[in-house]
Amino acid sequence: MAFIQAVLDGLMIGGVYAVISIGLTLVFGVMGIVNFAQAEFLTLGMFVAYFAWKFLGLDPLIGSFLSFVVIFGLGVVVQMTLIQRVLNAPPVAQIFVTVGLLIVIENLTLIVFGSDFHSVTTSYQTSTLRLGPLFIGVPYLAAFLMALLSAAALWLFTNKTWYGRAMRATAQDPMAANLMGINADRMRQIAFGLGVGMTAFGGAVILPYFTVHPTVGHQFVVLMFTVVVLGGLGSVAGAVVGGFAVGVIQSVSTLFFPIQLQNLVLFIVFLTVLAVRPTGLIGAAR
Amino acid sequence: MHRKGKGPTDFADARSASQENSVSKKGETKSPASTPKGLSRLALNRRHFLAAGAATLATPYLSKIARAQGSDVNVGVVVPLSGANAQFGVNSRNGIQLAADQINDNGGIKALGGAKINLIIADSTSTPTNAATVGQRLIAQQNVVAILGAYASSLSLALSEATERRDVPLLTMSFSDMITGRGFKNVFQMISKATTMGAAQLRGPAGVAEKAGKPLKSIAIMYEDTAFGTSQAGGLRETAAELGIEVVMDEAYPLGITDVTPLINQLRGTNADAVFPCSYLNDGVQIIRTMRQQGIDMPVIGGAGGYVIPDFRAALGEYAENVFSVAPSNYDLAPELTDPFKERFGYFMVHEAIEHAVCLDVLAKALEISGDTDSDALREALRNNRFEGGWAGIIPGGGVDFDETGLNTLAKPIIVQWRGEDLVTVWPDDVATKEAVWAGK
Repeated sequence: MAFIQAVLDGLMIGGVYAVISIGLTLVFGVMGIVNFAQAEFLTLGMFVAYFAWKFLGLDPLIGSFLSFVVIFGLGVVVQMTLIQRVLNAPPVAQIFVTVGLLIVIENLTLIVFGSDFHSVTTSYQTSTLRLGPLFIGVPYLAAFLMALLSAAALWLFTNKTWYGRAMRATAQDPMAANLMGINADRMRQIAFGLGVGMTAFGGAVILPYFTVHPTVGHQFVVLMFTVVVLGGLGSVAGAVVGGFAVGVIQSVSTLFFPIQLQNLVLFIVFLTVLAVRPTGLIGAAR
Repeated sequence: MHRKGKGPTDFADARSASQENSVSKKGETKSPASTPKGLSRLALNRRHFLAAGAATLATPYLSKIARAQGSDVNVGVVVPLSGANAQFGVNSRNGIQLAADQINDNGGIKALGGAKINLIIADSTSTPTNAATVGQRLIAQQNVVAILGAYASSLSLALSEATERRDVPLLTMSFSDMITGRGFKNVFQMISKATTMGAAQLRGPAGVAEKAGKPLKSIAIMYEDTAFGTSQAGGLRETAAELGIEVVMDEAYPLGITDVTPLINQLRGTNADAVFPCSYLNDGVQIIRTMRQQGIDMPVIGGAGGYVIPDFRAALGEYAENVFSVAPSNYDLAPELTDPFKERFGYFMVHEAIEHAVCLDVLAKALEISGDTDSDALREALRNNRFEGGWAGIIPGGGVDFDETGLNTLAKPIIVQWRGEDLVTVWPDDVATKEAVWAGK
């Protein structure tokens, strides 16, 4: 029973890991750029939802849509002004841009919002569902369902809409896409906006059980990269599988080892997977 | 929630820190009696190589606060103003500024011809290597007579390597036993060591529970696996053995944990009488929320850190009510000293602010005695005198008296409890301002 509880807890948190990581993999998939600043957009998304709660009284689960919209817009601007310039530059230049962005965003949030920790209060924050001997925290469940919702919406967008197909076409062959009348630059803007917007959304839905502060991104950045590489860099399905895998591995490992070692167990599994399947669980479906 | 200082000028009723303080000469050094508490946390959690790279790139930021005059005394302040511990660093800086303005408004250091205290504040970031680097720079370039800082034990440990090498006194309120446990001659620890803090964290509530007729029989311990958490948990464990209390859960967890559910699942199975988490804010808040989700209502006794700052109450609302914590000092012990802080900065004077004010106060008193900024004379004055009154008097135990290792032997930890927006001292009885509320079974 403890095992089932652990798997359940792992799935709940894994769903959120999946959503915040989808953005990272999407940006890489479409543009071939590794966005080191991705976790900072998670921080920004959390701040947007926090202020929406504080000043507008919006529940973070509703505020998450606002987070998505605001950060989507910010992402488009960042793509137009910064990322676009280094698309064909050497990888080192790309790394410098995104790392620079990380430093700038982190320090700007520190200057503007201060280093305080912020947290929201909601009615369901301390309630829980009981299924016999099993416990599911309501905020975890809510975050999980919102995560599933956003992943499904992204899937519909990329597979069922013209824009989504055009974005995938750009990912596969920008020149051919251009010849078919697709504005590749526009597609990249949408892709980057969607990528950081998804991560911001994921940040907002965990606000009921997580506090936000300017350096909260540090706590997630390693997990995000692990999820993405474990699943297969550039693959959205891989990020979902990777997210659940990381959540469940972390949670189940605590049954057998001290909690301190949960990330050790995770990285041992991670290295083993990479040794056997260097392209990740779901192959490099770029 | 943003805390901003209002500037030094609105502090009209500044009390003289030095005037009403007495300093008694003492003969030999005293025997070590008390110990500290552990507030330090390792900043090593930045496992992300990039973050580490970024921290290295970001040149630590130095700011000159006061006007530089020829006769000023430069005092270095190294605290984390960015990164995971930034909030605590800002609190610390506010406390030091308050004390500095009081000293300067009252005529500066009289033994040095009224020299003003000129604070040179440097951001250690939350990374130990940076703490050492900026400390080094303050000593080499700013000619500081002493350094105050650096809040977290891991930062202070790194910083103390630099100050020891350059023979500059370091006054700190970090908890770790290692601060004064290495035989350094330039380090002065203002409060009890982490193991003493851990012992008090259990002894206090054990006494309170006994008094309530519900003696503690079994406890659960959970702690962050940093210098702070580990040494404090050690104190808890030893004391439990001494008092014959069974430890039914003893679990370390990594700094920056993203999901505490496994911890609470384990706690639920233990049926302990009380839980003792040693954590900072984010993990502490998560622990209490998840406990409440699962309907666990055993008393919680935090290990200072995140449990004794206004944000704890802001994050948890009514769920913070009656949560206990150990602390090295509390603002309600000397409202006449701490009220000006609240007026100026808008929130109650948290313990790290109090103890950093004490650090500066003790330094100023030592300068009055030595009448000399030379580090040998200053060190002598610090080590051979007992400091009482003023800020030094707010330390439970009555003052500051360093033994040969630099540990304040007078300090005694206290237990505080949340009541609405306030944190009240409930143990030991001789300093308590309110009766403790024990909700245990």
